Amino acid sequence: MTVSVKEIIELAPHNLLWASGALLFAASLAWSRRIGQARSLLWGALRMMLQLLAVGYALRWIFAARHPLPTLLMLLVMGGFALQIMAGRLRHKLPGFYRIVSTSLLAGCGGITLYFCLLVIGPSPWYDPRYLIPLAGMIIGNSINGACLAVERFAAEMTERRAEIETALCLGASCRMACQGPLRNAFQAALLPSINTMAAMGVVSLPGMMTGQILSGTDPLTAVKYQIAIMCAIVGSVALTSALLLLQGYRAYFTEAHQLRC
Amino acid sequence: MSSPAAAVLRIEGLGKNRVDEQGSQVAVLRDVELSLFAGRITVVIGPSGGGKSTLIRLLNRLEEASKGRVLLDGQDIRRYDPLQLRRQVALLAQKPFVFSGTVLENLQRPFQFQGRIPPPGNDPQLRELMELCQLPVSWLQRDAGSLSVGQQQRLCLVRSLATGPEVLLLDEPTSALDRPTVDGLAVSLRAVCRKRQLAVLLVTHDLHLAEIIADDLAYLEDGRILEQGNAAEVLGRPRTPALQRFLTPPTRERN
Repeated sequence: MTVSVKEIIELAPHNLLWASGALLFAASLAWSRRIGQARSLLWGALRMMLQLLAVGYALRWIFAARHPLPTLLMLLVMGGFALQIMAGRLRHKLPGFYRIVSTSLLAGCGGITLYFCLLVIGPSPWYDPRYLIPLAGMIIGNSINGACLAVERFAAEMTERRAEIETALCLGASCRMACQGPLRNAFQAALLPSINTMAAMGVVSLPGMMTGQILSGTDPLTAVKYQIAIMCAIVGSVALTSALLLLQGYRAYFTEAHQLRC
Repeated sequence: MSSPAAAVLRIEGLGKNRVDEQGSQVAVLRDVELSLFAGRITVVIGPSGGGKSTLIRLLNRLEEASKGRVLLDGQDIRRYDPLQLRRQVALLAQKPFVFSGTVLENLQRPFQFQGRIPPPGNDPQLRELMELCQLPVSWLQRDAGSLSVGQQQRLCLVRSLATGPEVLLLDEPTSALDRPTVDGLAVSLRAVCRKRQLAVLLVTHDLHLAEIIADDLAYLEDGRILEQGNAAEVLGRPRTPALQRFLTPPTRERN
């Protein structure tokens, strides 16, 4: 089985300029037809470019350093940003937010990332940033999305289904039993995007990571194997992080005496 | 009021404060003293917003009292495990809530919540209770959501009583029902209270219901009990101007 392995075509600055032409065209159309969003589009694109360039230089430096400390630092920064993004969406919906979310992220995303890197791929050295950082990025990115969906759904259901929950409490249910319905629906909301993505994968969409590997000259079958492995890790982490978050978070809605907090 | 038997539930100096929008403490219940006896129905009447629902919610610890204490069989309810307490002190809410599923499945839910074996549909005790509450046994396999509000309230009554509580609390159980349905429910309540020797507390602003059902009666306004005693005596000779006002123009209360 031989596949000709070619080096990827390097993009020169003028190539990037041409690429941004697509976006500039869309923005100018939006501006000239007065349908709005032109400014947001341009600002978003500028931000994206700067963030990516910065991370590109940082990664180049971390890869060259070959030391666990910068890698760890990078992971911490990523985790910190994840926490901030979630705080913006969820802080008011979950009492005790920081403690619950940080432990769930650490155990869910951190646990799965380490398990995956050390046991499934096993790079040497074990902290090889070329594997650890991009994998952690994909795992965290998907997990915070799932976790946000879970908490948002749970918070909404706890308000909507108040009568049901109090009825259950009055009939002698523990708070865990009383919010079984909201927990189930919240967990489903967290997993639905992952399950849909898996269903569409390969049939409708070629996933980004696989596309990237193929573009850089990797044998498609190797890329597919990586994609299968990373999808398992991502979905596992989405499920684990959301479940930990929900199973700790529901308690925040109740007192020790199985009473709903107002 | 002066029953020689010991009270099943004794409320002593009960008070509840809430924090209002300005952030200051407001008393919604003050110094409530009340006793419930086995086989007797005590009705608390009074205008809406007088603290009636709050009183009920303190008795099975859906909320915590700020002052005073409640004794169930002589023991402070705060010393009970809240889950155990709610198995002995049932609460029927204003709006009936039925879980999705059949009538039988609804009746089995509390047993599942309490980790007990749910009774089958032909359980004689369950059937007797259904008969007392006029919930036809032939409905067991019907979808609970398809019942009318009045029928759902009966289902909720049977569901609350199926696990055998000592005390039954009812929070405005008839506010969504029409007059004939109210009368029917009152008959059921009286029957089940006598037969099961339940201590019943019912709060309502419906004077008609109070008249036909109460053994003992208390009048609650602005968080205070202004009058209480034997229902016929209190309703027949109201002493306080507040209760006289509440009783006299019947048209005013019918909203």
